[in-house]
Amino acid sequence: MTRNALVERIEAETGIESRPRYSNQIEASVPRERIISFLSFLKTIGFEHLSNITAIDWIQDSTMEVVYNVWSYSERIHITVKSPVPRGNPVSFTCMGLWPQGRVYEQELHEMFGISFQGNPTQGPLFLHNWKDIPPLRKDFDTEEYSRRAYGYLEEEQ
Amino acid sequence: MVIADFIPKNPGATLGFIVLTGIAAMAVGLLFMGIGRKLTARLQRRYGPPFWQSYIDVIKCFSRNSISHHYIMDLGSMMGLAGLLAAAMFVPVAGHLPFASTGPLIVILYLMPIGYLGMAMGVSASGNPLSAIGIGRALTLMVGYEVPFAVIMLSMIASFNTTGLLALHQIQQAGGWNLFTMPFGFIAAIIALQGMLAEKPFDTMIAPAEIASGPMVELSGKFLGMAFLQHAVAIFIETGIVVNLFLGGGRTIWEFLLKQFVLYMFAMALNGIYARYRVEQATRFLWFTAGSLAVVQLILNLLA
Amino acid sequence: MSDFIKVSRDEIMDGKMERVLDFFRARSMWMLYYCTGCGAIELPPSMTSAFDMERFGLGPMATPRQADILLITGYISVKTLKRVIRSYEQMPDPKWVVGFGSCPVNGGIYWNSYATINQLEKYLPVDISIAGCMPRPQAVLDMFQKLKNMIQRGEAVGYKKYKLNYDWYKKNQDEVLNREEPVFREDELFSAPPEQISGEKITAGGNR
Repeated sequence: MTRNALVERIEAETGIESRPRYSNQIEASVPRERIISFLSFLKTIGFEHLSNITAIDWIQDSTMEVVYNVWSYSERIHITVKSPVPRGNPVSFTCMGLWPQGRVYEQELHEMFGISFQGNPTQGPLFLHNWKDIPPLRKDFDTEEYSRRAYGYLEEEQ
Repeated sequence: MVIADFIPKNPGATLGFIVLTGIAAMAVGLLFMGIGRKLTARLQRRYGPPFWQSYIDVIKCFSRNSISHHYIMDLGSMMGLAGLLAAAMFVPVAGHLPFASTGPLIVILYLMPIGYLGMAMGVSASGNPLSAIGIGRALTLMVGYEVPFAVIMLSMIASFNTTGLLALHQIQQAGGWNLFTMPFGFIAAIIALQGMLAEKPFDTMIAPAEIASGPMVELSGKFLGMAFLQHAVAIFIETGIVVNLFLGGGRTIWEFLLKQFVLYMFAMALNGIYARYRVEQATRFLWFTAGSLAVVQLILNLLA
Repeated sequence: MSDFIKVSRDEIMDGKMERVLDFFRARSMWMLYYCTGCGAIELPPSMTSAFDMERFGLGPMATPRQADILLITGYISVKTLKRVIRSYEQMPDPKWVVGFGSCPVNGGIYWNSYATINQLEKYLPVDISIAGCMPRPQAVLDMFQKLKNMIQRGEAVGYKKYKLNYDWYKKNQDEVLNREEPVFREDELFSAPPEQISGEKITAGGNR
């Protein structure tokens, strides 16, 4: 199916407005409660491969967006699904049932952003060693100041 | 038979000769190792270390602190070197031996595994599981190369009624080299020699990228130095055996050393070319290819 | 650096008998290829045909127990630092640490990262460093010549420095590896968003 046909079909069957972007990409924004049903619908219409789960921290809007990148081998079309969660209570739902590799991506997001995924049993540390501060990829974390305080700078030693 | 029959006639000279043989075995082995590294480097189109590099390596190893995990590790390393030095006493160099003996091949072939078993005991006392894997592979490979050698020994018995290396040396000095009268046995011995020296394609024992150098993984300082010396003496013994069996033994000591050198350089050239067999592939190759060549030689010797 | 123990030059340099052995140690150095970061890519060219390293007696060794030199090539994250310290302490004396690249010197291009340390000197005694990102094989060979001369003169004594000043090194290591308190207090976090680069207001959902 062509890209425009897919856009129309998604709009018709789920009511989510999606728009084409760049050459073979589609973008859609889905509320948090409907994200898992939307992803399973995508899997039925030919988007078999979960490439990536990442997040963006919109500190001025007090939301964090969880972004799923899903690829279709049969149609050669990429879809980016964005799902905002409130920054004060960043909880979402796991997609482990659809794609087992989602478990590791969600563990990384929990460590780096603080977003917890209900249903994912592994929400512990993955990359950071003995980390006591807030999740480091949030926008209110000053990484340069952290590096100066924790590890020291060469000029200050003299 | 009184006890006096066992004391040699000139104990001082015998003791001196024994010490000299031990030192010469280690020195010659280290020199061959250094030249072998130079040959490997030239095959790879680079310059390589100077030929005395192995002496410097051994002295550096002995100058470092070493860490021992258990007293069995100390005893095992010493047993490894002692077993091989004892085997070196029975290899006739141009017809000379440190004491009166016939240089029996059977004695050498059971003193050499004492060396390997001592090393295995010492290294497994260190507690590292990688060393256990390395020793398993080394002893499996030993089962592999002993088979063609045993069949070659049987073919020597069939032809000459002796396995004494001294007697074989004298027979070859009178007649021709066994290389020309027993070619299949020679090829089988060359393949088995590659396994005894633990050079590629049969060097799964060392395998640095896979099991972090196998048995040597926990050896540091003087233990590593002793492992190097063990390898040097093993080179001397094994090339000495094949020279005495097939290449005529040598009239003078320099001719003997030259033949050993040519044999070791051939083994190092093969080492530079081939990749590494897995241990079951190596054992299968040694039994069926080298073993069948040796059996063919045995049958030819029995019929003639 | 004020807690460092001050010793005199005679106490810490090798004596005359050791210099004889230093002659041999300088000509046969075995390296532990602990390739911590991206700098390790410059070691294979130094070892192979064009810049042959083996002619100086250098060679790779597989385990810490057999090696003399610990090469720290590239950046060191906190996880790697714990393992590098353990490997260093497993090596028998005498041993040397070489800092390869700009990252062990002052943090390199990862100087403002929360995950990589900035100065290796605080945690392990570094004998010689090479600057560069990455240093070319010519620089690597030059460094090994300098290290060989240092060892022959008896000046490469980082391992003695580590033993004499162990409390100072351990304090620095614990500060990073066994941290108890968070670095930022509650009120020290950013409150304003970072500046937008293009000036366009971009909100959640991608609406422009």
